[in-house]
Amino acid sequence: MNTPKKRNFKIEAFKHRVEVDPKYAEKTWKVLEHAIHEIYNHNASGLSFEELYRNAYNMVLHKFGDKLYSGLIATMTLHLKEISKSIEAAQGGLFLEELNRKWGEHNKALQMIRDILMYMDRTYVSNNNKTPVHELGLSLWREHIIHSENIRSRLLNMLLEQIYRERTGEMLSDLGPSVYQEDFEKPFLEVSASFYSGESQQFIECCSCGEYLKKAERWLNEEMERVTHYLDPKSEPKITSVVEREMIANHMQRLVHMENSGLVDMLVNDRYEDLGRMYSLFRRVPDGLSTIRDVMTSHLREKGKQLHLLDEKDKYDKIIGSSFNNDKTFLNALTSSFEYFINLNGRAPEFISLYGVSEEDVEAVLDKVMTLFRYLQEKDVFEKYYKQHLAKRLLYGKTVSDDAERSLIVKLKTECGYQFTSKLEGMFTDLKTSQDTMQGFSAGQGPEAAGEGPAIVVQVLTTGSWPMQPSAACNLPAELLPVCERFRAYYLGTHTGRRLSWQTNMGTADLRVAFARNQRHELNVSTHQMCILMLFNSADRLGYREIEQATEIPAADLRRCLQSLACDVGDDDAFFVNDAFASKYYKVKIGTVAAQKDSEPEKQETRQRVEEDRKPQIEAAIVRIMKSRRVLDHNNVVAEVTRQLQSRFLPNPVVIKKRIESLIEREFLERDKADRKLYRYLA
Amino acid sequence: MHKLARGHRDKIQQFMMITGAGDKVALQALKASDWHLDGALDIFYSHPQIRGVIDSRRLEELYQRYKDPYGDMIMVDGITQLCSDMQVDPQDIVMLVLSWHMKAATMCEYSREEFIGGLQSLGVDSLEKLQEKIPALRTELKDEQKFREIYNFAFGWAKEKGQKSLALDTAIGMWQLLFAEKNWPLVDEWCQFLQVRHNKAISRDTWSQLLEFAKTVDPSLTNYDPEGAWPYLIDEFVEHATQNVLAPRR
Repeated sequence: MNTPKKRNFKIEAFKHRVEVDPKYAEKTWKVLEHAIHEIYNHNASGLSFEELYRNAYNMVLHKFGDKLYSGLIATMTLHLKEISKSIEAAQGGLFLEELNRKWGEHNKALQMIRDILMYMDRTYVSNNNKTPVHELGLSLWREHIIHSENIRSRLLNMLLEQIYRERTGEMLSDLGPSVYQEDFEKPFLEVSASFYSGESQQFIECCSCGEYLKKAERWLNEEMERVTHYLDPKSEPKITSVVEREMIANHMQRLVHMENSGLVDMLVNDRYEDLGRMYSLFRRVPDGLSTIRDVMTSHLREKGKQLHLLDEKDKYDKIIGSSFNNDKTFLNALTSSFEYFINLNGRAPEFISLYGVSEEDVEAVLDKVMTLFRYLQEKDVFEKYYKQHLAKRLLYGKTVSDDAERSLIVKLKTECGYQFTSKLEGMFTDLKTSQDTMQGFSAGQGPEAAGEGPAIVVQVLTTGSWPMQPSAACNLPAELLPVCERFRAYYLGTHTGRRLSWQTNMGTADLRVAFARNQRHELNVSTHQMCILMLFNSADRLGYREIEQATEIPAADLRRCLQSLACDVGDDDAFFVNDAFASKYYKVKIGTVAAQKDSEPEKQETRQRVEEDRKPQIEAAIVRIMKSRRVLDHNNVVAEVTRQLQSRFLPNPVVIKKRIESLIEREFLERDKADRKLYRYLA
Repeated sequence: MHKLARGHRDKIQQFMMITGAGDKVALQALKASDWHLDGALDIFYSHPQIRGVIDSRRLEELYQRYKDPYGDMIMVDGITQLCSDMQVDPQDIVMLVLSWHMKAATMCEYSREEFIGGLQSLGVDSLEKLQEKIPALRTELKDEQKFREIYNFAFGWAKEKGQKSLALDTAIGMWQLLFAEKNWPLVDEWCQFLQVRHNKAISRDTWSQLLEFAKTVDPSLTNYDPEGAWPYLIDEFVEHATQNVLAPRR
């Protein structure tokens, strides 16, 4: 390349060859300037591309790129200003037409100019980090036309108005993929939001839920169409979320709960299409589906209280299948509602006793329970819940109607066989036996024991018969230890070879407490609570950790006990007796903050135990079947196992498969060497 | 030997050179053929047991070379030495084939019976002969039936003594090795799937069924039969693969 020194030489050299003088640049430029004018005036046909190209080339070569470039800018600007004026002058509808026309012309001109100045684009522009010609043309257009104050606001308003009109049913003149900029979108979204807000408000007042949803769906589709045709694709998600928010999210509760047309009405009347629409619209907004699920679940629970729920099971299966896309979360909600009822129905005796139902009615209620029971696929789940609740009722003395309990058990025995109820009867037996034991114990104590220390009533539970897991005892207060020991000695004296362990998580205690100002009360508390309270006989103030250490009550339990005795419990809290405690009644029962029986974690646990129990049952069935058939293919094994177990529960084919594999592993079965789908029994 | 005539001695040398057998074998064969070399060779090749029985001394020597100093087994050191002498990588699959011939109970050890019995069945009594056998061993992997036997053998051989199942890491290593021969395209995805989702030991049934799976189901899983009584792990793998990995391929 030429260096400054050499340049002089070069020019000298050229001077001889191509008459370059200082005015050359100016002359050349003038030619080009003229050409640009002609191009803008639609007179390009008279121009020679080759000549113009050469001129531009020479200018750049001779280091007059700057002049060329700045000249270009000046000339285009001049023209654009004129164009701007002509557009501004256009009236009404012609405004957009004129704008569009001038835009087209500018583009054509720009292309020609770019071609002529290509050498400059390639060398001067890139070497000097300037904007290339085409882009320059666009940005000048933007600067002088679009951003010109008059045009800009008119343009914006026009576009918005056009869209508004189109939304309300009028046709939009086809703009084509014309001018679209960043600061169009923001006001566009704001205007849209207020449009939809208004429309939705209007419609929700006068439409039914189904009609409203139809309208919302229509609008959503239209917006998406509009975006594809007129707007930048980047705007799509933004405008969609505006519509979703204004039309759906803001009105969710109202829609779902609408009288005579809301979700409940749709469910009751099997409006599959409406339900499907609600599902697909609500799924677009946060919490949409959970809103539907919650309303559905509470509706089911309400309905179910009338013990008619199982009639509805098919119906809901169908709804979830056809309208709710077989959504797993809905299926789960349905199952848990049913489990809620299984549970509820297992507590039918509780309700009977609570409401003091008469003799005949008891029978009727129980019969209804049995009918439902027969429809249950998962009878073993029912059994688990039923046993747990019965055990609690028996232990805490909540059974008011012993007969009702016994009657239900008899019915279950008839239905399910001896095995189902044998353990239940074991529970009743334990209680009776304990009564006898207590009589023997008290009689044997002698008069001197009567005045000493606290009195206890013990129920001895046989481990296998009760659904609870045995747990470790906490530290009982010293005052209790002698009498506990006496009982233990008495019991083991009459029953050799047995082991007793105190279940402190299950007992109760009656405490007589003297508060300040001679307030005396008898508090009925749990054993754990008693242990905690007794600590305060020898200390005024105790920290959480001290209580924990002294009683050795497991943390979760401890927290709940303290919560029921105090208000809020933290690890670093200290506790002291509220001497100012007062109550109207002499006897006060302090409940424990409920462990939320049948809360989710507990339900999971029960479910898991049921699943574990099923495994050996499935295996036993497989072995029985294979033993008798010797050789059987996979599908038939599954079918037979299912048939054998269906009176208890519906086994999952995947679980059956896993059990088969486990049996293969343990060499009870093998696969046939020739046909891998066949199993053989190994003697 | 010293009683032999010169011509006989030559024939013995020749016989040994051609067959690679030992001198005792050569003597026996030539005597039986009345010192006709061709006849002796004929006898030798049609009576393979000749090779074995007589050379048990050499086999014993070989065994002694590799056996552990403190026990009557060839252990890791011995095997390493053996591989080195054979000029074979201990990770080479040919060692698996060799172990299969030996009916070795567990990897990284050979009992006396296994070692000697195995070599005998191969008709080998020296290191050189063993080395010569290597290409033939490799070829056995190409045979469908033999590959299946070797594959199934590998399970018992690779697992820990006394364990019923094969540790996952070992299983993956073996699968990589074996399926490199078979060229099963899904081996990596299978191994990855197991590490993420299963992370437990592999049962024998799963092991053996996997080979059937690799042979019968094509890599795009289009002909997979969900009613096909495949082990559940394979069912899960197919579900996983059709959701994740294969989707982009389609």
